[in-house]
Amino acid sequence: MILIEWLQFTLGVAFLLAGLGVFAVQVFGVFKFDYVLNRMHAAAMGDTLGIGISLVGLIILSGWNFASLKMALIIVFLWNASPVSSHLIARLEATTNPHLERCCELEEGIMEHLWDEDQREIIYADQHKAEEEK
Amino acid sequence: MRIIMEHSWIFISIFIFLAILLLFCLIRAIKGPTIADRVVAVNMMGTIVMVVIAMLAVYMGEGYLLDICLIYAMISFLAVVVLTKIYSGVYLEKLAKKKRQQQKAVQAESIREGSTGKNRIKEMKTEETRLKDAGTEEVTNKYTKRNEQERSDTP
Repeated sequence: MILIEWLQFTLGVAFLLAGLGVFAVQVFGVFKFDYVLNRMHAAAMGDTLGIGISLVGLIILSGWNFASLKMALIIVFLWNASPVSSHLIARLEATTNPHLERCCELEEGIMEHLWDEDQREIIYADQHKAEEEK
Repeated sequence: MRIIMEHSWIFISIFIFLAILLLFCLIRAIKGPTIADRVVAVNMMGTIVMVVIAMLAVYMGEGYLLDICLIYAMISFLAVVVLTKIYSGVYLEKLAKKKRQQQKAVQAESIREGSTGKNRIKEMKTEETRLKDAGTEEVTNKYTKRNEQERSDTP
């Protein structure tokens, strides 16, 4: 019995420390990269893998009860919410940055799929004016 | 549970480590050159705080803290959605305002030059042909529609 308890404790703490390692790598990556869209790649790691491993460790530590079910629910919610919020942040950056092609490679014609119709009208009018000036 | 209480220094050191990571996230949120940088940093801080709350729930043996953790996750997701919508909306609004002011300036100039109605229509036609040369039919359709509206407005 004592052996099983110790096994549970060490396994849980090991998972928790692995999650902390992922968080440390995440923060290091956010300081290492130069541009937001690169930084987001590092930041998304902690949102899914870091909190996933940490909460699996806490589930092992807390044992088989209702609290562990709630933690599993948190993991599942974050797996769904994190890509959506990353997509929204990337879209914000692509909309508000007028010189996106200087910061990263763009595929041909990818900007046309980015905006709604009224937003596209506003932005393309400016681009046409710039082309005419050339 | 008994073992956690006997070795509480592990949990406390993990709390301290997470607090240091939170401090670095705060530095990133202050330094970040663009708005998206700050939103990413705030999202990261939210994730780390969620882990701290869940650890506190296991450490203290209080299950209700996990409900708070779940609500925290939902609110931080909502905050990201609202912030991105607001900032992109403000930016596009500013762009549209600038464009409207430019159009007004061009119209005022043409009126000041004393161009008659016929000349104005000629100018518009030349503009249409230029846009057709540029080769985007969608935009030209929009422009012609707008010009027709303007013509019907002006007697």
